[in-house]
Amino acid sequence: MTRTTWQRLKADRYGMSGLLIVLFFTVVALSVWIGLLGQGWSEVSGNSWESISATHWFGTNLLGQDILQRTLFGAATAFEIGLIVTGFSILLGTVLGALAGWYSHSWLDEIILWLKGVLDSIPFYLFAAAVAFALQGNRWAMHLAMIITFWTTTARIVRGEVMRIKQREFIEAARAIGLPGITVVFRHVLPNTVHILLVQATIVFVVAIKTEVILSFLGLGIRDGVSWGLMLAESSQEVVAGQFGNFTAASVSLFIMLMGFNLFTDALQDALDTRRIMP
Amino acid sequence: MKKLPFLARKVLYGIPLLLGVTFVSFLLMVYFGPDKTYELLGKNPSAEQISEVRHALGYDRPFLLRYGDYLKELVTLNLGLSDSTGEAVSSILARTLPVSIALVLPGFVIGNILGLALGMLAAWYRGQWLDKLVMSASVVGMSLSFLVIIIILQILLSTPYGFNIFPVRGWQVVDLSSYLYYVTVPTLALLLVTLGYNTRFYRAVMVDEIERDHIRTLQAYGTSPAELLFKNVLKNSLIPVLTRIMFSVPFVIVSGSLLLESYFGIPGIGLVTVNAITSGDQPILKAVVGLTGVLFVLALMINDMLYSVVDPRVVSEQAVSKS
Amino acid sequence: MYSAGRMLKKFQYIILLVLLIVGGCGEPPATDGSTPAKIYRHAMDGAPGSLDPAQAASLYANFLVVNLYDTLYRYKYLARPYQLQPNLATAMPEVSDDGLRLTIRIKKGVYFNDDPAFEGGLGREVTARDFVYSIKRHFDPGTRAQGAWLWQQRIEGLDRWKTEGSDYDQEVAGLRAVDDYTIEITLTRPFPQFVYTLAQGYAAIVAREAVEKYGQELSNHPVGSGPFRLVSRDSIRAVLTKNPDFRAEPFKLEDEGYDPASQGELGLEALQNKIPPFVDQLEIEFIVEDAARWNAFLAGELHYIKVPVRQFDTVLSQRDPPKLSPLFEDVYNFEASPEAGFIYTNFNMADERIGYHSDPIQNHRNHALRCAMVKAFDWKKRNEIFFYGIGRVFPGIIPTAVSEYDPDGDRAYIQRDLQAARDLLQANGWNEENLPVLDYGFPNSVTERQAFEQYRNFMVEIGYPVEKIRPMIFATYGDYQRAYSQGKVTLINSSWTMDYPDAENIMQLYYGPNAAPGSNSANYNNPVYNRLYETSSTLNESPERTRIYREMNQLLIDDCVSIAGISRTLLFLWDKKVIMQPDRSFLGGYFMRFVDLVEPSATP
Repeated sequence: MTRTTWQRLKADRYGMSGLLIVLFFTVVALSVWIGLLGQGWSEVSGNSWESISATHWFGTNLLGQDILQRTLFGAATAFEIGLIVTGFSILLGTVLGALAGWYSHSWLDEIILWLKGVLDSIPFYLFAAAVAFALQGNRWAMHLAMIITFWTTTARIVRGEVMRIKQREFIEAARAIGLPGITVVFRHVLPNTVHILLVQATIVFVVAIKTEVILSFLGLGIRDGVSWGLMLAESSQEVVAGQFGNFTAASVSLFIMLMGFNLFTDALQDALDTRRIMP
Repeated sequence: MKKLPFLARKVLYGIPLLLGVTFVSFLLMVYFGPDKTYELLGKNPSAEQISEVRHALGYDRPFLLRYGDYLKELVTLNLGLSDSTGEAVSSILARTLPVSIALVLPGFVIGNILGLALGMLAAWYRGQWLDKLVMSASVVGMSLSFLVIIIILQILLSTPYGFNIFPVRGWQVVDLSSYLYYVTVPTLALLLVTLGYNTRFYRAVMVDEIERDHIRTLQAYGTSPAELLFKNVLKNSLIPVLTRIMFSVPFVIVSGSLLLESYFGIPGIGLVTVNAITSGDQPILKAVVGLTGVLFVLALMINDMLYSVVDPRVVSEQAVSKS
Repeated sequence: MYSAGRMLKKFQYIILLVLLIVGGCGEPPATDGSTPAKIYRHAMDGAPGSLDPAQAASLYANFLVVNLYDTLYRYKYLARPYQLQPNLATAMPEVSDDGLRLTIRIKKGVYFNDDPAFEGGLGREVTARDFVYSIKRHFDPGTRAQGAWLWQQRIEGLDRWKTEGSDYDQEVAGLRAVDDYTIEITLTRPFPQFVYTLAQGYAAIVAREAVEKYGQELSNHPVGSGPFRLVSRDSIRAVLTKNPDFRAEPFKLEDEGYDPASQGELGLEALQNKIPPFVDQLEIEFIVEDAARWNAFLAGELHYIKVPVRQFDTVLSQRDPPKLSPLFEDVYNFEASPEAGFIYTNFNMADERIGYHSDPIQNHRNHALRCAMVKAFDWKKRNEIFFYGIGRVFPGIIPTAVSEYDPDGDRAYIQRDLQAARDLLQANGWNEENLPVLDYGFPNSVTERQAFEQYRNFMVEIGYPVEKIRPMIFATYGDYQRAYSQGKVTLINSSWTMDYPDAENIMQLYYGPNAAPGSNSANYNNPVYNRLYETSSTLNESPERTRIYREMNQLLIDDCVSIAGISRTLLFLWDKKVIMQPDRSFLGGYFMRFVDLVEPSATP
């Protein structure tokens, strides 16, 4: 990210508030991981359905667990899923996309495209369900399902970029002095796609968090611990009985976090000037 | 032009893709998939009875043979019988698919028309307050989770906590009024979850188009805004718009109905699939996944061919977010 | 270029659309012009799978099957405790002196519903041979039948018939049709519960022609002689219509065990001498989600509901004894009764981490650990949070619903005692480091997860480290069963619903030879228990048997095999416009033929 990009980003009020929200949740997630916050997510610390009080800021749930603790822990879960899925799917997509793009129309390209075509053809939620079954009980089943399906978009973008960039003169020059193709790709081509990857990463992050909610509702989500998706799944039975604690806490937090990411992504796209016609 | 070799190549490409899709779905859904054996056993089964049931379900057959059978089933469309209800899978699909389509169609159509209208409006007033309003609203829409929207709408419209004017669940559609009665809440949910994405997309397309030189020129010559928008801008951006519409269809039908149907208890293909997942009904699972995959690949092939015939230059590439 | 990405998903759906339009299958099932006068709308909390009697394993399938098919016996509509009553049979069986030979005569002039499976499409008379055929099907590996466990090793020659190839034309010595209307059954040893099994959906009578014509699809194409016929069925509802040819037998309050004192308010007297089934159509909704079911009930879409626990507070003004709140009193009738079964959490005794151990010292330590965990479990809280405090907690496995229940049982077993639990751990050298990692299994659901979290919290309070009790979640119930049957689960959370009103059905749960994959999921194997079970298995309900059962229960308690148990209190609510006494246990679907509506109903 260059200085001008940062200047432009700083000038964007919405973008900066988005960034603040993202930073806030990052701090929360970090605090949970190092054991400062949300450690009491499992502990029963009150009675069923206590309302908001000084000890239970968001009230308690059916079992008498503190909803605030669970919400905080849920933020860390969301980040864990977002980071892992984003990291690995971007990495996988970049490597495969770059290879496909550099060796375009070779057999390698064909294989990667074939793999991508296969994965794109299977309805996602069914695919996730299937992976969850295949890895029954494994806590990474959901992450893996998302990584396997999300890398294809990144790969497609990177492949296109690499194919475009490799025609450029400085690449030609690098090849002319005898650098092996793969070195050229990783040292000279990929750095030119970083801005796109950055934007793509924020998009994947949001999609991963949203997907967790739905997978958890369908019972294919996380194993142990608590997530906003699980809280919403619980709440879907509770709201008709007039208990809104879980629902409010999880849906509002989820909304704010996603809003933060969306605002930030928008601003980032503007600042990096990568906006394409992308839905 | 060398059209024939091109077409032949497309067909050739399709075959490995078909094999890949069927293989992956078979491997995951069937080989590693849910096991129905124990649900079909009585209360005190012997080891012998367990192997009988496994045999009846075909679980004990060699991997490749089972995969071969699966391919044969897909080709002949003889999809077998549900392991749970004994109903023919093909008749289940014939019964549930129309329901799913009827369920998502209104939301889909309105969502795109509304998105297009808002997108045009925002693009035309780019940078002004109207644009900002529409764009902010769309960010809000994009930040809402589907599940949250569904829960809120249900409380608001279908329970005594809200207006309580629509049904909580079910699908007893016999005429237009009963259709509207059952379809309204799911449609609203679908609208809310897609409108934000649609609006932003259409706005981006329109902005691109409006900034073209010839539009500016026409504007300078005093062509009325309405005429400009509909005659020039919309017409020129038809290709990305149509592509987008077509793109969203799979998301809406496959993923959208899965959640909507299981939440609203609507007997469409999504509910059947969810039930098949939780009861380990492999014949249904492999049919749904396999057929979707196969049809997708076939369509991909046909599309490539059509595009090469209509417009040999470009095959536009578009991304659709998977959420 | 090939990377047209998702572009083409569009065509896929165009193709589907075209297929649909061409296929013309877009029409919802139409209701015909002649709307039936009386429609009863029922809700179940699950959907039936197969409707083939041989596969009617679930409560839901059984509920429908006994309405679509005939059985020899059924339960009396109103008698509690439950009593059998002839259905297709003319009388209760004539039993030989040694208790081994039963003769059952069936009614004449009962016909199967018309179906293309029969010659000329006309239903033929139901005969004794049909019964014999229907039972034999359970011993035919091609049927995927699930009821064989009720009769295996019990009927003379039936198991051999199976090993000899399940040839239906081959006679079974102990299961014969003497003539068209007489069945003769020879048991291998006295089996006091036998007649109960004949009132289950498994023993419903199918026609061989239909089985042969429809094969597996019979499950969706019932051809029976029951009081109702299937009109349609999909994933959310089934519609049944009255069988106009059902044998005309006037309803007699006295035959059904009517008790004016407790049932006088229900309006049942108006039904006296009328011919069931009384309603023209049954609409049975399958609504798994509690919230949706409750909302549908409140919206007037249903006549009856099993009230979700979360709504008990809304519905009741008083817990014990339960009393309906004034808001509901005017419109609804209600009943609160304990389920015929219970919930319990077994320890897997075959697992060396917590169960039997070859080293006697370790074996003893494991026993102490189990007993400490039993003491750590807080039944009061479990009951309060998950069962509105009105579930019936009892020590061991003999629930309050059966006559063998011992009011003077060992209450200490269900009394939480944290100090004693901690002392027990300490005395046996258990500490945070050496406590074993345990896998608590459950099929995925919100409630099961909450129950797990509560369980874990109970254990944490005696010093069990949180991370040492791990959830093992399964997407399907079948996968969960497979896992615990294969010994992969240490803490097995289960519920048992009795098949017939006799405690023998419960005692077999811990009989050694029934160990996994059988219903003894604890893999408990105590020679004393096994011997007592064998001795008692030929006994009828009697003080002698009760004494033995209580002794067996005490063995389980002493061995700390299971954290057990609780029977849920079920709460039924039904519209006062409907005259009925609903049931969800043994009577099950048999009550549907006696349901009546005060006035013809309009469509909702």
